[in-house]
Amino acid sequence: MRRMLIGLALVALAAVPSCAAAQGAAAQGPPRPGGTLRLAIEDEPECLDPHQSPTEAARLLDRPLVDPLVHQDDKGVLRPWLATHWTVSADRLTYTFTLRPDVRFSDGTPFDAAAVVANLDHVVAPATKSLLAASLISAYRASTVLDAHTVRVQLSEPDSTFLAALATTSLGMESPRTLRQDPATLCANIVGTGPFVSHDGLQPQQGISYVRNPGYAWAPEGAGHAGPAYLDGVDVQFVPDDAARYGALTSGQVDAIMSVSPTEERELGASPGFLLRTKAFPGINYSYWPNTASGPFADPSVRKAFQVGVDWPQIVRNVYFGTRQVARGVLSPTTPGFDRSVAKNYVVDPALAGRLLDRAGWTGRDSAGYRTKDGVRLRLRHLWSDPSIEDLAVQVQASARQLGIETVEQNVDGGTFVKSLLAGDYDLLDTSFSAAGPNVLQVMFDAANIPTEERGIANNVSRYDQSDIQADLVGALAARDQDEQHRIYGAVQQRISADVAVFPVYSDMATVGARDGVGGIAFDNEATPDFYRIWLAS
Amino acid sequence: MTGIVKPVVLRLAASVVVLWGAATATFFLLQATPGRTVDVLLARTQAGPEVRAQIVADYRLDDSLPTQYLTYLERLVTGDFGSSYVLRRPVVDAIGGQLPYSLQLIAATLVLTVIASALLAVVSANRRRWVQSSFDAIESLVVAVPPFWLGLVLMGVFSFTLRWLPAIGATSPLGLVLPAVALAAAPIAVLTRVLREGVLHALTEPFALTARSRGLSEVALRTRHVLRHAALPATALLGWIAGSLIGGAVIIEIVFARPGVGRLMLSAVQNKDMPVVTGVVLLAAAVFVVVTILVDLASRVIDPRVRG
Repeated sequence: MRRMLIGLALVALAAVPSCAAAQGAAAQGPPRPGGTLRLAIEDEPECLDPHQSPTEAARLLDRPLVDPLVHQDDKGVLRPWLATHWTVSADRLTYTFTLRPDVRFSDGTPFDAAAVVANLDHVVAPATKSLLAASLISAYRASTVLDAHTVRVQLSEPDSTFLAALATTSLGMESPRTLRQDPATLCANIVGTGPFVSHDGLQPQQGISYVRNPGYAWAPEGAGHAGPAYLDGVDVQFVPDDAARYGALTSGQVDAIMSVSPTEERELGASPGFLLRTKAFPGINYSYWPNTASGPFADPSVRKAFQVGVDWPQIVRNVYFGTRQVARGVLSPTTPGFDRSVAKNYVVDPALAGRLLDRAGWTGRDSAGYRTKDGVRLRLRHLWSDPSIEDLAVQVQASARQLGIETVEQNVDGGTFVKSLLAGDYDLLDTSFSAAGPNVLQVMFDAANIPTEERGIANNVSRYDQSDIQADLVGALAARDQDEQHRIYGAVQQRISADVAVFPVYSDMATVGARDGVGGIAFDNEATPDFYRIWLAS
Repeated sequence: MTGIVKPVVLRLAASVVVLWGAATATFFLLQATPGRTVDVLLARTQAGPEVRAQIVADYRLDDSLPTQYLTYLERLVTGDFGSSYVLRRPVVDAIGGQLPYSLQLIAATLVLTVIASALLAVVSANRRRWVQSSFDAIESLVVAVPPFWLGLVLMGVFSFTLRWLPAIGATSPLGLVLPAVALAAAPIAVLTRVLREGVLHALTEPFALTARSRGLSEVALRTRHVLRHAALPATALLGWIAGSLIGGAVIIEIVFARPGVGRLMLSAVQNKDMPVVTGVVLLAAAVFVVVTILVDLASRVIDPRVRG
């Protein structure tokens, strides 16, 4: 989840000039080594340790510091990284990894089988209080050193997503010597095998500085080049205000920024001397979620009416000026296992919506023009994730009104949000959920993940509980290989789409704006920019 | 000497009560905000039940409210401010890391406010109606302008267009200029008005006539004698401004990407991060106490009558 519960909506200063003159040669020709990239980013992680922190910001800042065992490429294919190969037992409960023999952590500790055991044990240890990584490998039981460069991992149940989980930055390998420190120390700095090193670690509310790891020689295949990184270093500054970040770029105070706002994205795309790179986050699209357990949306035809009756594509174009892809499916297109065949369900047809609502019994009209049933108005209470969604919410509200549906917009504080969420006291809620693989469907649709008072926070916010989906979610984890797993997740996507358990809106994008002297801007499979490939032409 | 020690001791005794009140109010207000702490802490994560149980156990969130309150007070009294639930580091470190930047900004803002408002008050204390009303109008306008907007305008002009000053995150003296100006604008306007009233009033006093008749120049009269008379209400006001800046600079900290206690406080409140909220509230209360004592002492220096 990338949005803060409560953000400060600051009005952007319209007068920020985009008149920055050409600031040096555009990045053409072969990459050249040298230079320090100055980067301004919006969010700051509360903790740097990828084993502890669940945030997008932590992934971004950890990516240069740690390497995972497995590399997942853009197509979702799993390839060697710190592990050169692996075998899986017939019962799919035992994985045996062979490790690269030549890898060292930046503190000099050799990377070996004992290091892998220490890392996996650290992730799942209750004292680590992992907010994401541990849940990605929830099937992990134990691991054993077979020899210096061979490690055996045992699972408590088959988990076809285990290798993909090991390929995330959250499961990056840290020096075992540092893992013996208390979790607080790891929040400030971590030591990995990555292409960069940070000597001073995270400076709260300021930033973090990296220098190149000169001994780096284990980039995965497809990383663009081998050997050490091009950049001498990277200086990251936390700049929470959109207008300040954008102005810092256009006035040459930084080389690149992330999280470019839609208005500025459009402006930057048209400015000579600058470039824009984007990639949709894999995972769950930014969506509106119906409460399928109670209220008007417990009726699937009302959900279907809302889905085809609201003009989602036009609303996304109005609010984001074409800088966000309209979503046609629960998963973003960059998610491995994304089933594009569900797109056909996403049509705009207000007439059909009207017929569906009539058939569902919402035939009356009250004095304000809203539909009623047994004298009760068709009213949906929408719990906001974030005040910044106002423009979108207003347009959805207007579109729903055309259908005779009233949406009551509830922009509440974090505590009230959590309370209403646990009580199921809402009809609509909006959120996205970035994740590297299609198993995020389990996070969002497994009945065991419905948030309740007893269970606490969980992510099945549509409170969706269908036994056949449950069976498929279990089946996907037991799949023999990735193909079978993707086939099952494809069926889940189709079922969710047909059942209208979610109203997809748009794909959340990772955005990088930079002066055109910055070359090699690329994203990894989690849509995290990869500093390893970046170089400066000037 | 004893004349000064007694009120200071009394003040310090009263401040203990103030700090206890602040700590207690913080505890119960935060408890009264909706949502259980563990749920707010785990919002937007993917933590399993084991992690949830660990967090409840570590922070003793399942203790009864009176037990939690007594434990909390006991720890505060022994100087143990605990660790942040979210940042996972000691509160003293978390605040200590930000405090120097907040103090720098406050000091710069206060110095700017004092110098600018003294100058403006002396210059604007003019009997001519149009001079007074134009100063009045400008002061009202400045007070009405939201600091973050002023900050963005200053940034657009002096950093992005003229490129004289850094816009973001600069912890150098140069980076202090724009945020301090943005923060000081409204206090300068208020303080100038208060000082000017005092100056205008003092200029009608018999001593001003005496001084003039001794051949003292108008400038010397205003800066050496009259300003001192006007300074008493202004000092009290300045104390209040200084105290409110400790956590109140948050918007400016965000706009200029400056580290500071305000930003720490904002995220702590959002996340129900009780230890950090308590730490910042107690810090702000302590600053108020110290500032009040300083204002009292300053008043005694400025105006001998207060000593009696």
